[in-house]
Amino acid sequence: MNPKVLAAGLLAVLPLLAVLFLNLGRDPHAIESPLIGRSAPPFALTPAGGGPAVSLESLRGRPVVVNFWATWCVPCFQEHAVLVQGAQALAPGVQFVGIVYEDEEPRVLQFLEQRGSTYPSLMDPEAKTAIAYGVAGVPETYFIDAAGSVVTKYVGPLDSRLLAALVRKTRGGT
Amino acid sequence: MRLRRPFLGALAAACLFGGAAAQAQVPPDASDAASVPSPGAESAASAPAIDPGTVVGPPRGQPLAAADLEARSEEVAALLRCPVCQGLSVADSPSSMAQSMKRQVREMLAAGYDRAQILAYFEGSYGEFVRLEPQLRGVNWLVWLAPIAGLLAGAAVVAWTLRVPRAAMSPGSGERGAAAEPAAESEPLPGPDTLPEDGRLAAYVLQVRESVYGWPGGHAPVANTPVAPSSAPEPAAERR
Repeated sequence: MNPKVLAAGLLAVLPLLAVLFLNLGRDPHAIESPLIGRSAPPFALTPAGGGPAVSLESLRGRPVVVNFWATWCVPCFQEHAVLVQGAQALAPGVQFVGIVYEDEEPRVLQFLEQRGSTYPSLMDPEAKTAIAYGVAGVPETYFIDAAGSVVTKYVGPLDSRLLAALVRKTRGGT
Repeated sequence: MRLRRPFLGALAAACLFGGAAAQAQVPPDASDAASVPSPGAESAASAPAIDPGTVVGPPRGQPLAAADLEARSEEVAALLRCPVCQGLSVADSPSSMAQSMKRQVREMLAAGYDRAQILAYFEGSYGEFVRLEPQLRGVNWLVWLAPIAGLLAGAAVVAWTLRVPRAAMSPGSGERGAAAEPAAESEPLPGPDTLPEDGRLAAYVLQVRESVYGWPGGHAPVANTPVAPSSAPEPAAERR
């Protein structure tokens, strides 16, 4: 083979192979949130069904688990049970908050009535809070430490072991 | 379509959101043609909006209204990627999430935030991924310069390829010809009557010339033109 052609081919292919191998261990679904390590965006939202607004500021002083969910999201069904159980087991040291993403309030109320809940689910008019948190789908869960900083974010449904591990990480960061 | 860099959109969508649905779900209307505002949002008590000023500082521009506001909203929304879509801008997407983002863009423009502040606000939530046009900094330069470099490299290859045969056709006419084909000066070029060294092949060539051109014995009927290689045997004699 012509050495010049071989060199040109290697020059074109090697950078692509390098990019491929360098990213082999990376999860393409994982989009790094710029909020990690920064103050969590504040919110003050009304719970589904009415009542006084719940603000992030009012929960300062203990870790907060903020879960974005919707009734049309199938993985949220299975995750809901995990969160309800987790909120019960970890209370009052850790506060759980659900924020409804792109959904209708009557459906949310029906869902909560059927499946029960141990933490408030807040309505998010015009998805402003979801936008502020950089939500791109549900379920997404943000773990906020007692000082109000985002420690980590998880995309997808949580199981009880993962939830416990991430809460532990959030507590350790305080 | 208002996508300024379709290739960037496709690349990022393939890399980042290729299988996102496996982990998290997007609203059911994300790919629908029609977008319906969330009734839940309307029925909920109005909540205080998150102040973008805490992220990007006080507004630096003039508050916009009416036609200016609409035009600028479209312009800025076209620069933002819809996070629940596949490579669509917020301006192009019919999803309710994109509509919410567009509404927020409009509100920020009406409050006097400029384009850079609005893009920075969304980037603060979603990261640089939300920009359809990555900023010219760091490794992003590659995205802008690599296509130009590829084009120049392609042009260089084409020019180099075209240069070789031209040089070979004009041996001894200059330095380029000599450099491209060093052997051209030392070896004579084949003439119209040159025969191959292989005797059998030479016989066939003569036969073909005779039948096609009508040349007697396959040789051109012009005085002192036949230039047969010294090693080639006389084809007619060989056949006899």
